[in-house]
Amino acid sequence: MSFFDILGLALRNLREAKLRAALTTMGVVIGVAVIVTMTSFGLGLQRNTVERFKNLDLFNEVQVFGRDLNTVLESQLDRKPEPASEGGENKEPKKPGNKRQAKSSERPLTDAALGEIAALPGVAYVEPTVRFSVYARANDRVRQELIGGVRVPNGASRFQHFAAGQMLGAKETDAAIVDESFISEHGFKQAADAIGQRIEFLAPPDEVGSLSNASRRNEGGAEQRASGKAEKEAGISSSPTRRADDTAAESDNTTAALGEATAETETDEPLTFFGLPLEDSGESSRAGGSGLVARTFRIVGVLKNEVEKGSGGNRRFRGMMPAANIYIPLRAANEWKATHRGMMEQVALQLARRSGLIDTEETEGYQAATVRVSDPAAMKNVVERLRESGFNVFGLFTELDEIRTFFLIVNATLGLLGGISLLVASFGIANTMIMSILERTREIGIMMAVGAEDREIKLIFFVEAAVIGLMGGIVGALAAWSIDKLSNRLAYQFILAPRGEPFIDFFSLPPYLWLGAILFAMAVAVAAALYPAARAARIDPVKALRHD
Amino acid sequence: MLEAREVSKIYQMGGGVVAALDRVSLSIKEGEFVALQGTSGSGKSTLLNLFGGLDSPTHGDVMFDGRSLAPLSKKEMARYRRASVGMIFQNFNLIQTMTAEENVSLALAFGGWRGRERTRRARELLMRVGLGERAMHRPAELSGGEQQRVAIARALANRPRVLLADEPTGNLDSTRAGELLSLLREMVTRDDLTILMVTHDDQLAARFSDRTIHMKDGRIEGMRDEG
Ligand SMILES: Nc1ncnc2c1ncn2[C@@H]1O[C@H](COP(=O)(O)OP(=O)(O)OP(=O)(O)O)[C@@H](O)[C@H]1O
Ligand SMILES: [Mg+2]
Repeated sequence: MSFFDILGLALRNLREAKLRAALTTMGVVIGVAVIVTMTSFGLGLQRNTVERFKNLDLFNEVQVFGRDLNTVLESQLDRKPEPASEGGENKEPKKPGNKRQAKSSERPLTDAALGEIAALPGVAYVEPTVRFSVYARANDRVRQELIGGVRVPNGASRFQHFAAGQMLGAKETDAAIVDESFISEHGFKQAADAIGQRIEFLAPPDEVGSLSNASRRNEGGAEQRASGKAEKEAGISSSPTRRADDTAAESDNTTAALGEATAETETDEPLTFFGLPLEDSGESSRAGGSGLVARTFRIVGVLKNEVEKGSGGNRRFRGMMPAANIYIPLRAANEWKATHRGMMEQVALQLARRSGLIDTEETEGYQAATVRVSDPAAMKNVVERLRESGFNVFGLFTELDEIRTFFLIVNATLGLLGGISLLVASFGIANTMIMSILERTREIGIMMAVGAEDREIKLIFFVEAAVIGLMGGIVGALAAWSIDKLSNRLAYQFILAPRGEPFIDFFSLPPYLWLGAILFAMAVAVAAALYPAARAARIDPVKALRHD
Repeated sequence: MLEAREVSKIYQMGGGVVAALDRVSLSIKEGEFVALQGTSGSGKSTLLNLFGGLDSPTHGDVMFDGRSLAPLSKKEMARYRRASVGMIFQNFNLIQTMTAEENVSLALAFGGWRGRERTRRARELLMRVGLGERAMHRPAELSGGEQQRVAIARALANRPRVLLADEPTGNLDSTRAGELLSLLREMVTRDDLTILMVTHDDQLAARFSDRTIHMKDGRIEGMRDEG
């Protein structure tokens, strides 16, 4: 007897008792619909949650920290007392120093180290964190702004949404993008007005010339001429791409200058800067102010402020990289940082060099960098490798695992609830099968008399049950799909739309879910037929054939 | 071909014990047409079931082709029923929800016949018993005699070597019964078919069979060779 013969017999049996088969199948339909709907809701919840975090770059970025020079200095320099030391007391303060060192990485985050990290499998790119504050003038207003260096091209979601203009181009060296708060602080009416405008970064007069500025040479010729002193100093200085170590020699003078500057700016008067009126549009003030202009950038884009509704207003935290008001190309930011070092940093570097802690050629490296992976799944491995290489790492990668575990439990619970309804259906199947055997005892006896094997008798019942499972599964999956669609529709129409919120798909119905549910329904149905089938095979043909 | 050695079949009925067969010994040669006669309840159907492999004896041995059926597994027993013997039951035992052709076809399916071959053979078998016209009818739409002929067609479906027939002519008029038994007789002579047939009709038994066996109360009472 071929499989098709058995299938034919099974289908014939179902047809003979259509209503009963339909009612039995109904139980499976409900069971599968409940399983699939519940689980698809759980999966939808998971997807929406993870997606939300992913959109914030919380799962595909981590921060690595380089060796913190201050920490190293505090713990190491005690051993090598510099000018006049305190002798034997230096062993005691070592303890807290060590503790802090545990927080800091063992390795400095130099350009070479960044290259090494970028070469790790799974790493999309590494972006060192270069941040500094500067007085920036735009639209004739000076404000203190936080500047950030940006790697171009950049995959961070922070740079996905622009109110006007676009992202920095790969080749642009003097372009900048700003955020919306910059726009309002500098008195632009709307974001689009700022596009193409200049931002001038101000610096103490004796630092102004320390960096020959390509942009200043290109644009604003009049200004250049006016600031003769700056021009001269620019002539003396060396290449524009000098790094921190090159400027170390000048540090002694600049430290003094910076000290003065900070002392005076503390008053924080918006209208004056170093005693010069800044917001006057008069020629004299422009000329005077321009003496402080160290570098000029052109605004090419305005970032949209990402305002998260109902979660405490404006959330600026996106991804692992700290936010800034103005973003300039990484290279320009590095150049600026090298020439306009903070006083404390300069002292730390000098101390480190003199103590022989680092070479005169060496820099302290970056404080931190953002490592972006191409796939969140690779994160674990990348983090492991980073730690092996001696870097400290911070990120939410463990939270992703925790979220997954949490949803695994949620989904399992939801699936289990659905499973219970399918269990109930399985009793219905068993019941139907036993009824059918009682009705068909004689028929089974006849089949045995003409040579049916036990296996064949059982198979007929299994196939019959599997057909019930399959039909119920398919209809149940379709029902679940309809429920999902309908729920989404209703939720949108009555909850989301009245609040002006966009459509959200609350469910996730991947093929493995409904296919799995159908297969599961078939398996449950066949399992329910195990006992009836065994009972059918045990029928005594003589007795079955005797009764009329 | 068929042999029963000291075969007993004992049924436990509440307190009492019923011996449907009581130490029956019997041997049927290949190509022999044997008629089985006896009063109601004498154990004829029980003996047929034992030879047909549907039941097993309480004592004694049932042999087919010189081999005992006792050591056969359930599966081997099914194969034996499928290939070696064909049975016609007293109450026809046709599947009511299937047409005549489907009933015959079912037996052919268990015998390994497939597709068009099977349909062709089912038609041919029904034609041979004179039911070509009625192939698509269900048992309920057929007369008792017609149902009996469907049962005969089904019993012969897998070309068995032995035919066990429980009153195949019970519902036929004497002309029809004569025709049918001629057909069976012809198969015995031509194809070496062995037949054990229960009948109440002395005349038919005398006319077509080689030998008549008489049973009473589960025992063989006597045998008569028909000239
Ligand atoms: N399953 C059973 N349980 C109890 N007794 C049985 C069973 N099957 C048969 N018998 C008994 O065995 C005896 C023989 O029955 P069997 O059916 O063989 O008779 P038979 O010769 O075929 O009669 P008939 O001519 O009426 O068909 C009967 O007395 C019957 O009651
Ligand atoms: Mg009988």
